[in-house]
Amino acid sequence: MSRVRISWRDLVGRFGLVMALLALVAILSLLSDRFLTPSNVINVLRQISINAIIAAGMTVVIIGRGIDLSVGSLLALTGVVAASLAVGGLPAGLAIAAALGLGLVMGVFNGAFVAYAGIAPFIVTLAGLTIFRGMALAITDGRPVSGLPPIFMTIGYGSFLGLPVPIWIMLGFLAITHVILRHMALGRSIYAIGGNEEAARLSGIAVRRVKLFTFAYSGLAAALAAMVLTGRLNSAQPSAGVMFELDAIAAVVVGGTSLFGGKGGVFGTLIGALIIGVINNGMNLLNVPSFYQQIVKGGVILAALLIERLAASRRA
Amino acid sequence: MALLTMTGMTKRFGNVVALDDVDFNLEAGEVHALVGENGAGKSTLMKVLAGVQPPDAGSMTLAGETVRFANVNEAQAHGVVMVYQELALVPTLSVAENLFLGRLPRLVDYRTLLARSRELLAEVELDLEPDREVERLSIGERQLIEIARALAREGRVLVLDEPTAALSATETERLFALIDKVRDGGVSVVYISHRLEEVFRIADRVTVLRDGRRVGTKTVAQSSAEEIVQLMVGKAVRRYQRPGRSAERRLGAFELAGPGLQPTTITLRSGEIVGLAGVIGSGRERVLPTAFGLQGSARWNELVIGSPREAIGAGIVLVPSDRSTQGLVLELSVQENVSLATLERLQRFGFMQRSREREQTRTWITRLSLRPPEPHKPVRELSGGNQQKVVIAKVLATEPKVLLLDEPTRGVDVGARAELYDVIDDLSTRGLGLLLSSSDTEELLGLSDRILVFRGGAVTTELLPPYEYEEVVAHVTGAHQLA
Repeated sequence: MSRVRISWRDLVGRFGLVMALLALVAILSLLSDRFLTPSNVINVLRQISINAIIAAGMTVVIIGRGIDLSVGSLLALTGVVAASLAVGGLPAGLAIAAALGLGLVMGVFNGAFVAYAGIAPFIVTLAGLTIFRGMALAITDGRPVSGLPPIFMTIGYGSFLGLPVPIWIMLGFLAITHVILRHMALGRSIYAIGGNEEAARLSGIAVRRVKLFTFAYSGLAAALAAMVLTGRLNSAQPSAGVMFELDAIAAVVVGGTSLFGGKGGVFGTLIGALIIGVINNGMNLLNVPSFYQQIVKGGVILAALLIERLAASRRA
Repeated sequence: MALLTMTGMTKRFGNVVALDDVDFNLEAGEVHALVGENGAGKSTLMKVLAGVQPPDAGSMTLAGETVRFANVNEAQAHGVVMVYQELALVPTLSVAENLFLGRLPRLVDYRTLLARSRELLAEVELDLEPDREVERLSIGERQLIEIARALAREGRVLVLDEPTAALSATETERLFALIDKVRDGGVSVVYISHRLEEVFRIADRVTVLRDGRRVGTKTVAQSSAEEIVQLMVGKAVRRYQRPGRSAERRLGAFELAGPGLQPTTITLRSGEIVGLAGVIGSGRERVLPTAFGLQGSARWNELVIGSPREAIGAGIVLVPSDRSTQGLVLELSVQENVSLATLERLQRFGFMQRSREREQTRTWITRLSLRPPEPHKPVRELSGGNQQKVVIAKVLATEPKVLLLDEPTRGVDVGARAELYDVIDDLSTRGLGLLLSSSDTEELLGLSDRILVFRGGAVTTELLPPYEYEEVVAHVTGAHQLA
């Protein structure tokens, strides 16, 4: 009797997330015949693209046992910088490159305080959250920047091989993140530091440099998301991205990455972002008032983590 | 009549007998030292007494009354209080709050609390403001506060487990003065120590344990250091001799200094195993972390070693004393852990070379006969001995010249231990230089080509084979000075 027994707890543990997503999709397609249509599926993917890009950066930080609360504000800052430079006459490509560079630099700023000054990531990026927001407001005097060159429209509304550009950007960024985490020495170092920083240090891993990288990468992700959002709105708002950090953290955690570091991955984060996106979209289709939507969203996050927790304790 | 009598105490952990039918008695107002080598059963006996661990067999009477403590609180209610090696104070609370921790009223009246604390501190002649936070005190002061706290609980029996391990000479004097005072007040003290000069200094009687048995109780005034060492070690004089290997080429020299370690030079030849002996606090436990760039200052052949990265770059690797907190990332697999110190050489343009990684892991799994030989098993699921092999594989993969082994067999069972000894022995034949720091005398004798004995932060003796077991113990415990 050497039949392999597949325990269903094991299945829940391994594919629970995907199963939860599929269950959600099944329920919503029963409740609304507009849900499972090609155009709505693309719609959902486009809606989650900004959150998924930020969340991919957040995943890298969280696996390294950090957290980045500054991404929403950094998104606003890099958005208005790109828009202002472009409106001011800089070639649009250069303006975008400058904004992405700025995201990277501000991430390095966060990371330097965490890795070299030894200040808790929560505190450093909380400070970043207000500093970057203040900078965005100061640069624009609190007003939106509009009259952008056409490349932003292409980013926001263009399509390629039948898929909207934001979805391509999201998929590309997720793929790069996956490669860094799973196929590069750098990624291995991030898991090691998140799992046991002391052991990583004693193994000769350059812990500070790697931590610095995680925050820089998260900054870059925020700036990339800012380009997509600016394209979608065809303007840059200094007040954009408020609370985006929380949506990103929610996607990461629902996606099975541990807040204690060392575990998880970007595929889970995509599923997490999809679960949250599908719920939002479904509730819109069902005309659930937005106040109630927030309650449901919070409840789903708790439920997902509870299931995860139960599955983990059964396996242990 | 004795204040406390323990009769027939027996305690097993799995199939290891930690205590075997031990009798122990304690007079009122005496200081009774408890000595023995590591694993002799001292701490276990005291944990049974303090209610930390219930005995499997045996009975206990305290002041004529038969008692059985199910937990620490019950023991404390009877006035039996243990002061731990790892201090049990809350660093962020004040001295006063710590003194009365767990017994604070629901609503704390700070004025009364401070006044009561001042009285208590005066009683133990500790000149401290009770509203100071504990984290700002020295280790010695904390230890004295623990004793004050024990007295605050109206302790009749005070158990001190190696109290001077982390203390300076002046702090030790203060502690001894306090112990004398407490004894004069009628409190009985059990004093666990590895240092015989302390035992002869403050104890009235001494009980020696060996391999979980009581081998003797002596009145200190009528005994000698030789007699105690003889009891600790046993009648049969064991001689140890490494199979003669001529260590040839000089590899280099460490020059080390730092907190708790006076400037020390250790030379190392290729193929040589140098044993480091000494009790905790002797400086011995500082040598390897210093040599690996974790504390103090270190040079290896004139090269400054300021961090683990620099150490590894210089060909020096460390197997740390605590596998799970310092050696391994428990969530990751065997393969991922083995690769951890060699990521830079397993990558090309930043990408992991999977085939080379697999090959490296397979090589080490075979060489160290890791069980099970599965590269993708999480290390969390391996036994202690096999986890230690993963740590050794990780550091050896860097192809080092010098291997620092810090308590390499701690928490490893007997069978796996022998296997690790074979591995260590094999490494020395491959031309590595090894520094072995251990609190296990037998291990040091069996593996070392020479042994450096540390006391007071410096090397005091160098011993060469054939070793006399007793001689090593006498040097380590300081019995030599007393002779």
